[in-house]
Amino acid sequence: MKEFRFRIILILGAVALSLYLLYPTYADSQNTKLINSKLEQFRDSLRTTNPELSEDRFERLVSMREDEIYASNPDFRDAREKRIKLGLDLQGGMYLVMEVNTAKLLEKLAKDPDQKFLEILNEAEQQAKIEEVNVVSILAQKLQQNNIRLSRYFGSIRQDDSEIISSLEDQESDAVTRAIEIIRNRVDQYGVSEPSIQRQGARRIIVELPGISKEEDAKRLLQGSALLEFKIVREADFTIQVMNAVDNKLAELLKSPSDTVNVGDTTAVEDMTEEQFAREHPFFSIAMINPQSPFADAFVRQSDRPKLEAYFARPEIQNVIPDNVLFAFWAKPEATQDGEEIYRMILVNKKAELTGGVIVDAQSNIDPQTSAPIVNMQMNSEGAREWARITGANIDKRCAIILDGVVYSAPTIRNKIPSGNSVIEGIGDLTEAKLLEIVLKAGALPAPVDIIEERTVGPSLGQDSINQGFNSTLIGLFLVAIFMIFYYSKTGVIADIALFFTVLFIMGILAGFSATLTLPGIAGIILTIGMAVDANVIIYERIREELSTGKTIRAAIQSGYSNSYSAIFDSNITTFFTGVILYQFGSGPVQGFALTLMIGIACSLFAALVVTRVVLDMMAAKGMKVNIG
Amino acid sequence: MRIFQNTNFDFLGKRKIAYIFSGLFLSIGLLSLLFRGIEFGIDFKGGSEIALEFEKPIQISEIRDYLSDLGLGNVEVKTFGGETGILVRSELQEIPAELFPKVIETLEQIINKNYPDASFNLVDSTKASVTYQVSEKEKLESIIRTLFQNGFQATKFSQEEDNDKFIVRVGISDWIQENLLANMPDNKFQVLKEDNVGPKIGKELKRDAVVAVLLALVVILVYLGFRFKFVFALGAVAALFHDVLITLGVFSILYNVIPGLNLEISISVVAAFLTLVGYSINDTVIVFDRIRENIKIHKTAPLEDNINKAINKTIPRTIITSLTTLVVVTVLLFFGGEVLRAFAFTLFFGILIGTYSSMFVASPFVLEYAKRIKKGIQF
Repeated sequence: MKEFRFRIILILGAVALSLYLLYPTYADSQNTKLINSKLEQFRDSLRTTNPELSEDRFERLVSMREDEIYASNPDFRDAREKRIKLGLDLQGGMYLVMEVNTAKLLEKLAKDPDQKFLEILNEAEQQAKIEEVNVVSILAQKLQQNNIRLSRYFGSIRQDDSEIISSLEDQESDAVTRAIEIIRNRVDQYGVSEPSIQRQGARRIIVELPGISKEEDAKRLLQGSALLEFKIVREADFTIQVMNAVDNKLAELLKSPSDTVNVGDTTAVEDMTEEQFAREHPFFSIAMINPQSPFADAFVRQSDRPKLEAYFARPEIQNVIPDNVLFAFWAKPEATQDGEEIYRMILVNKKAELTGGVIVDAQSNIDPQTSAPIVNMQMNSEGAREWARITGANIDKRCAIILDGVVYSAPTIRNKIPSGNSVIEGIGDLTEAKLLEIVLKAGALPAPVDIIEERTVGPSLGQDSINQGFNSTLIGLFLVAIFMIFYYSKTGVIADIALFFTVLFIMGILAGFSATLTLPGIAGIILTIGMAVDANVIIYERIREELSTGKTIRAAIQSGYSNSYSAIFDSNITTFFTGVILYQFGSGPVQGFALTLMIGIACSLFAALVVTRVVLDMMAAKGMKVNIG
Repeated sequence: MRIFQNTNFDFLGKRKIAYIFSGLFLSIGLLSLLFRGIEFGIDFKGGSEIALEFEKPIQISEIRDYLSDLGLGNVEVKTFGGETGILVRSELQEIPAELFPKVIETLEQIINKNYPDASFNLVDSTKASVTYQVSEKEKLESIIRTLFQNGFQATKFSQEEDNDKFIVRVGISDWIQENLLANMPDNKFQVLKEDNVGPKIGKELKRDAVVAVLLALVVILVYLGFRFKFVFALGAVAALFHDVLITLGVFSILYNVIPGLNLEISISVVAAFLTLVGYSINDTVIVFDRIRENIKIHKTAPLEDNINKAINKTIPRTIITSLTTLVVVTVLLFFGGEVLRAFAFTLFFGILIGTYSSMFVASPFVLEYAKRIKKGIQF
């Protein structure tokens, strides 16, 4: 038995590891059931307290509550993160490929475009569609052919063509970055779970939005241009006043008629104080103020945001907040505490002082004197005039820079800015500065994108696919297993055990590497089930042959295996290669297939060469009759 | 239990019959490919496709009528998973310019019918959407909901408090949905899936698919040439071409013949073909490995004998593995759902033909080649 110990431990270890890696998937499905029932309760309660809510708002609050539940329980989050990810074709959702419309971008960037320019641009656009060349180079070519200098429309007269071309190409790339930030902002706001926004190549963006139940939600992302606004932040005194009003009203509203203070154990005093505090000051208990700070900024935990939004939605609270102000959240979290993100919230004027159209350019830099990151901002003449007036009237107040309703920065106005050229300081790091640069440009410069590919799978089809995939796997497994027992009797059972382990290992690896399971991926697993027996069959047939030449069972097993290696190896490697190629050239679902195929081959080889071998060897060592049918 | 143990069939002796058989299938396939051609899905052609599931059973011909004069050109309608599902396909990716005004008109009619005193005006339009401004902000959400119920995707222009604009998506699928709703008001449907592929992506996918297939062939050629002699690699690749061409021929012949079997070349079908390549090679290599072993052991035996013996000895394994894989693929074909049907079909046929070619195409090729060059093969 000693000689087998290593291999047995290896196998048991692999099984245990697979089960361990798969546990979160099981836990998550149980959690989901629990959470869905809680959400049903929430839905009912929301209908009674806020009957006038529009369907939009309603669904949004429900999804925020869902986020809250997940945020509050680290085990839920854990299981969700570690479970096997389902592809869009199984959980439903949207897959989009967007590409920057370079022609439109050039049109908007051109200074004084005339009819001739538009004609040439149109030609260039058409040509670019047929050939696979960049619009910028074709345009430059055509302009040259027509003896027009590029600097007539772009850049400055001092720059030569190649400089302008490369700066235009940079603009193109910039546009993609801006589009990505705008999209990311909107996706974050509208609470899509586990979205994916990736840049592809120089001009494309790939967006994956799982679980979109109403297409309507997804379309928001692509509509309208980004709105950049400058709004004045209200002073601390006024802000505290408003907050107090909200707090008092809220405490009043939330007080239930049977509110009694429980005079119980003195040991629970601390808890009671917190509870009491929450009851007396429901607003301040979730919108926490820093008493040391000169500002009345509130800090809200991610999990409390839905509650806060629900409060703000109530008409009684809306009445208490003055008409000309509103609360706005920061885009990025301020800090992380106990694994939860904390967001800053400020009170700003509802009316914007300026909108992004006045910005001409922005650059992130390092201040040569202080070595601190800064952002330079230039406005056009009309904007400069307004800006001079605004900054003059609001010295020492903060001005919030807001993109699509979310705050990115709120620097203090130190002095009047007459020229329209401002320097924004007090930025944390260069990354933040770069982000601010993108945001400022996003509101000012166009980032026209076209959707060139769009695939949507509804949740019902997704669920059907899961069911069909699951059933097919079970049926396939069952039929193959039965056949193996039928043809190879007792050793067939051993081959079946290897088969079950194969499937277990495949799932375990998928979970362990957070790989995505797609419908073709399930097909890959089913195919692997059919092909996995191959290695065993080769070995068994060989052993039968060896036995028929008169070898002992142990010797037959030995030579059966060694003679089969070359065949098994060569044949599986070639299938593996096609899997690799498929993975490289495929996308999404097809990659899922290639992945399960490759993993399947590896696992089935392990199962056939190690698991089956160990069992056969052990049986032979014990002198048991090894009946290969 | 045993089958085909210790057979001694003269495979190579009967190879002329195999040639005729293969030749026949290849010719029929090629003829069909030439005259009937094969159908490419929108993955490669570009276009729009939408799958709808109705509450009550529908008549395909009825739907075809409704959709035929929508100004969308050639619109195909097929069944999708049963009597209540349809798949509608258009070659266009976006509403053509001539049709645009009509769509806008229909849109505005819907709003006017439901909100006769609402005043709204068009403020912006792109190829894929239109933006309107309403004078009564309170009606905004209900207008959006009404449009949604009538098949158009509409949403608020911005989340601002004082937003008074809404934007409506004007796409192929919206136009199709609107028309179906208008024509069949008492048979509600839901969208199962929707695909929009631009021509650029279609071309790229085509290019990628071709490169992938060629690369696979090269890799296999090189690897097999390395592990076996070059002639074996050629034989294996010849068998591959044989398999792929015949399967393509079957696609061409059976296209639109069996209801419910949508045989068009999509990305997953290409993946199936590549898998088929991998699987067929698998099979062929098993036989070649045996031949290699036989040649090493019986150096002086005639090549024909070595090959015959090899094929005979590997029959049990070949049959069984083909059987188990076929069983699994059949399960997929019948239980795997609509989306995977063409994929499973490709594998089903491919495995049958692949098994046949390992025994009757690859090995004879090696023999013929050896006979031509009048040299034996040594390892």
